[in-house]
Amino acid sequence: MYLFLSVSSVSWFLGLLLQNWSFSQNGGLYWPYFKGFVLDSNIFFFVTIELLPFGSIVIAIEMNGGYVNGELGQLRATMQTIEIACSSIQINVNPTAAEATILSLCQSARPYQACQFIIENSQMANARFQAATAIRVAAIREWSFLSPDEKKSLISFCLSYVMKHASSPEGYVLSKISSVAAQLMKRGWLELTAAEKDGIFSEINMAIAGNHGLDVQFIGINFLESLVSEFSPSTSTAMSLPREFHEQCRKSLEHDYLKNFYCWALGAAQSVTTEITNSDGAVSEARVCSTALRFMLQVLNWDFSNSGKVAKNSIDVYSFVAKEDSNSTYTLVQPGPSWRDILITSGHTGWLLGLYSVLREKFSSKGYWIDCPLAVSARKLIVQLCSLTGTIFPSDAGASQGKHLLQLISGIILWIHPPDVIAKAIECGRSESELLDGCRGLLSIAAITNPVTFDNLLKQIRPFGTLSLLSGLMCEVVKDLMTKDLEDEPWSWVARDILLDTWTTLLTDASGFSEKLLLPPEGINAAANLFALIVESELKAASVSEEKEEYFQPSVAAMDERLSSYALIARAAVDVTIPFLTQLFSERFARLHQGSGINDPTATMEELYSLLLITGHVLADEGEGETPLIPTAIETHFPKYVETDKHPVVVLSWSIIKFAEQSLDPNIRAAFFSPRLMEAIIWFLARWSSTYLMTSGEMQSYKNSIDDVTLLQMQQSRVALLSFSAEHTQGKTLLGIIVKISLTTLISYPGETDLQALTCYQLLGGVVRRKNICQHLVTLEAWRELAHCFTNDRVLFSLNATHQRSLAQTLVLSASGIKNSVEANQYIRDLTNHMTAYINDISSKKDIKNVSQQPDVILAVTCLLERLRGASSASEPRTQKALYEMGFSVMQSVLKFLEVYKNEPAVVYLLLKLVVDWVDGQIIYLEPHETAVVIDFCMHLLQLYSSHNIGKISVSLSSSLLNEANAEKYRDLRALLQLLQKLCTKDMVDVSSAASEDQQTSISQVIFVGVHIVSPLITTEMLKYPKLCYDHFALLSHMLEVYPEMIPKLNHEAFGHISGTLVYGLHQQDEEIVGMCLRSLRALAIYHYKERGVGRDGLGPHATSYKDNDGNFQDGILSKFLRSLLQLILFEDYSTDLVGAAADALFPLILCDHDLYQRLCNELVERQPNPIFKTRMASALHSLTTSDDLSPSADRANMRKFRKNLNRFLIDVRGFLRVI
Amino acid sequence: MSDEEHQFESKADAGASKTYPQQAGTIRKNGYIVIKNRACKVVEVSTSKTGKHGHAKCHFVAIDIFNGKKLEDIVPSSHNCDVPHVNRTDYQLIDISEDGFVSLLTENGNTKDDLKLPTDDALLTQIKDGFAEGKDLVVTVMSAMGEEQICALKDIGPK
Repeated sequence: MYLFLSVSSVSWFLGLLLQNWSFSQNGGLYWPYFKGFVLDSNIFFFVTIELLPFGSIVIAIEMNGGYVNGELGQLRATMQTIEIACSSIQINVNPTAAEATILSLCQSARPYQACQFIIENSQMANARFQAATAIRVAAIREWSFLSPDEKKSLISFCLSYVMKHASSPEGYVLSKISSVAAQLMKRGWLELTAAEKDGIFSEINMAIAGNHGLDVQFIGINFLESLVSEFSPSTSTAMSLPREFHEQCRKSLEHDYLKNFYCWALGAAQSVTTEITNSDGAVSEARVCSTALRFMLQVLNWDFSNSGKVAKNSIDVYSFVAKEDSNSTYTLVQPGPSWRDILITSGHTGWLLGLYSVLREKFSSKGYWIDCPLAVSARKLIVQLCSLTGTIFPSDAGASQGKHLLQLISGIILWIHPPDVIAKAIECGRSESELLDGCRGLLSIAAITNPVTFDNLLKQIRPFGTLSLLSGLMCEVVKDLMTKDLEDEPWSWVARDILLDTWTTLLTDASGFSEKLLLPPEGINAAANLFALIVESELKAASVSEEKEEYFQPSVAAMDERLSSYALIARAAVDVTIPFLTQLFSERFARLHQGSGINDPTATMEELYSLLLITGHVLADEGEGETPLIPTAIETHFPKYVETDKHPVVVLSWSIIKFAEQSLDPNIRAAFFSPRLMEAIIWFLARWSSTYLMTSGEMQSYKNSIDDVTLLQMQQSRVALLSFSAEHTQGKTLLGIIVKISLTTLISYPGETDLQALTCYQLLGGVVRRKNICQHLVTLEAWRELAHCFTNDRVLFSLNATHQRSLAQTLVLSASGIKNSVEANQYIRDLTNHMTAYINDISSKKDIKNVSQQPDVILAVTCLLERLRGASSASEPRTQKALYEMGFSVMQSVLKFLEVYKNEPAVVYLLLKLVVDWVDGQIIYLEPHETAVVIDFCMHLLQLYSSHNIGKISVSLSSSLLNEANAEKYRDLRALLQLLQKLCTKDMVDVSSAASEDQQTSISQVIFVGVHIVSPLITTEMLKYPKLCYDHFALLSHMLEVYPEMIPKLNHEAFGHISGTLVYGLHQQDEEIVGMCLRSLRALAIYHYKERGVGRDGLGPHATSYKDNDGNFQDGILSKFLRSLLQLILFEDYSTDLVGAAADALFPLILCDHDLYQRLCNELVERQPNPIFKTRMASALHSLTTSDDLSPSADRANMRKFRKNLNRFLIDVRGFLRVI
Repeated sequence: MSDEEHQFESKADAGASKTYPQQAGTIRKNGYIVIKNRACKVVEVSTSKTGKHGHAKCHFVAIDIFNGKKLEDIVPSSHNCDVPHVNRTDYQLIDISEDGFVSLLTENGNTKDDLKLPTDDALLTQIKDGFAEGKDLVVTVMSAMGEEQICALKDIGPK
């Protein structure tokens, strides 16, 4: 597009040009530059002098700025359109149309010229912003067929623009454009040669060095910020390229450039330090400095790959959890030895601390304050340096790391010491951010040191250790917290979280990693004092909050995290804190009884509630379904106590259990045991019993070197502790008390669902999980009473239905404690007979049709079904017989109920779930004749359900009731699909004694009948429920993969339905669902291909083309899928992770119908608009099926090759196909 | 056990009752409840407490099954609520008369002609269209607390 004029005109123009242009001689850079002269009314002449940073000097004289007459008009028009669109978005007039306009710019082919024109000429910042976006979108999309020069010129255009307009007030446009440059640079990263990159970066370096003023310096750092965030995997922009690309870029940048960037930013910051130090007010250098510091922080946040894994929490990869809490994040910075010179030995830390201390002095003056950007970035960087660790330090036993930390802490201590003075200052209005950052610094240091080093750090410069400082801080914070209203989230609240995390970090590692790292004695004292203060503050909070009237109780779990930090602190000084807790409890118990009937006990009750939660956390860990171990601290800290009844833990536990036992007395219960207090008691009992009740086993190996005498004492003290609740001592009595308390909560607290849930799930559910407890449980009078009450007493019908289910499950599970299997089965029969008899009794009523609709009958039926469901889900090999009989005996009633309750969705759903759970528990054990019965029953059930529901439409005025009706339908269908899935498992796992194959019912047959029944009910409307959709396709893909031979036998309608849902599924958003559809397709195609290969029919009529009712020619199903799959992978959006699965489906489809494939390929080539694309397309298609010696047979090796080919093919062609 | 059966029997005889008492804590989402003397379906249940150491209360959000209006109620969870006796009966649709009444065929061969079509246009068209197409329609009529309404229709079609 350049129009070169003759040499003479060039010189003429140059003369003109040079008159008002002086070159600067200092070796600075010239960014490409346009200069215009109006010579005529309608012709523009532009002289472009490009002293490109990339070495070449181009002088071009262009007519109309390089645009032919008409084109200029067009560009102007485009610019105007975009400007109008932008302003109409701003004033919110017809925003959809405006967005479409802007989008069309992004989607048009090669919009670069127009975009550049807009960026350079538009007066409207928004339009420039949008144009930059368009460049990014288009260039990323069309990247693979831009020429190298075009790519480079796009990057340099963006860079030169931002450098030239560095002082522009519209910062967001500049940062957008520089981020576009960064993204394009990353896209081309692997293509650019080192020299080209260095060329660009040397310009950036010069900019950052400050040769062109502060603004350019700022822009330079800004560009590096975008670049680094682009290259860091967590913040990079998606470019629809494989993950390896991002990984390669990351490695390359880290290896070759990152450190240089850091040095440049450091240089920039240091170069302006003097100005900042010497001036009294704010200077513009501060902006550069704070940006540079921010960038340095960003670099230190980089996830360095060469870090030697020495940090504490990297040791156990499974327990490493990134801290999400924004208040107290720390990451370990491990950049490796190559960074030593810049970060450690260069005096960099000293400079930074110096800079900050200068700033601190200026805080009172104008321009700088504690939260000014420069101070914030400096503090953040200092905190980040605290977590510096790993091989960057020479291996000198931590000496240089110690020096580094000492230097940092001597800076940080000014922010946090003395705690009381600072806390007062904050009360008087000083900003808390310095204190919080100081706490974060301590947290970071705690993460990379052990308690002893941590404590000693401060001792080198102060008369006290870091732990004393930590507990001093914590005390101030807790004191402040006691006076504050938590709803305003006061500073002390944030500080407490950070400091608690610091304690947790210090203490967790001490117990888990190496026992040598115990707290030093002062630390233990500090912990004990701190715990006392914490408990005091919690108790105070508890008694105060009682005054609030309407109180929505927070769940125990919400407080869990905080309480477990408290527990860690308490365990650090466990020999002091446990007697302390015992004393607190006994004071409150006494107070409760003294004041009985006189004072309002609620404040004391609330204190007990808090104490119970805290004590539960101190004494035992959360088991999460497993049996938790006794905390090491409790095992090892009481060597002096070898007698059971003097062991402090026993004393504490016994006092709480004795208190809980008082709840059995109706009068006392009415007086003190509120539902909420009862919740805490049940929670405590659950937690305590899973750790201590009837526990045996060895002591955890103790890593510390101790003398044998102490070890022996520890073991004896442990035995003493455990013999309190062992099987042969009081264990059974305690278990009896627990069961009695449970029964009381179930009966005597009607309607308290939370309490009952805790009792059913946590306490009883936890107790039956352990077999040795079950053995005692089944012999207990109290347990028999519970079982009797459950089966015979109507009062437990008033429990929430799901709790009844859980209770039934618990009762059945306890049968595992009966050694004799006949007796165990008899026990279950005794439990269930009442329920089945009751059910059968109701269903055989003559007037059942009328009676069934009565609410009380519905309630009874619901409860019974829930109970049976609970029992069914407790199926175990030994007790399977009794549960089979239970299910068998209610089969007819279930069918009967399905009939009479067809309009009562809640009951229908329960019926289906009961069958699902029962089949799930039974199917793998069933003998052939039993299997036949069960399958017959299931088919009946399916048919009955289908006949009631097919073609049914709910009519209701209320949309929410209609939605409910839909949701009910969805749940039913999901249950039906689950039923089919469970039946499928018979083919996978079968432990029945049946030997010969021929007795077996063919499961595949059953599934296909089932699918025939169920699939018409599953409409695409229904598939919009994600879970149902998932289940449907999971079943479908399983079925097609395992039993493809059944497909030809399906009737046309059913098959049409299946293929219809497959088409629907292919266009789902959910990756997993599309994956399952692709697997189904693959199974279909491979089956057909293989059958054809041996001369059989394959999919038969389904696969051949036919004429439909209207006489139109219809393709066979596989051909249809070939078309739609090609369409999908070429033109539509999907995750790149699916390409492998798509290849697996596509290859056999191609093999099945090669002629059609050829036709489609030709079509595709013909559709390309120009010859270049045509040849590109043709050659890509050719290599798709031929490269890598691909041969046309669907074996493993070929499938693998085809996967690779398809990947290459897509990278090749998708770019231009998607635009057109 | 036998006591309860007896009780159950006697209630069956007293079948005409419109509502039954049931403990509030046992009423679940999707169950029925009477609020302000209207039969409703529960769409949301939440529990709260009266003061920290008080007793639980259930908060029901429910929708009137006949007019679709939303109603709310708070009941202590150990107290009883009224639960409506909701009956649903299937009839074959024989005719739709001009004045907006439907003619339904009962199980014993009689006709039931006292039920009015819904007034809502959308529902009306659903029923009328289906009937006009000559489909064999079965309508489900929901009745509770002395009110009746068509709540579902189903095309039983030619078998």
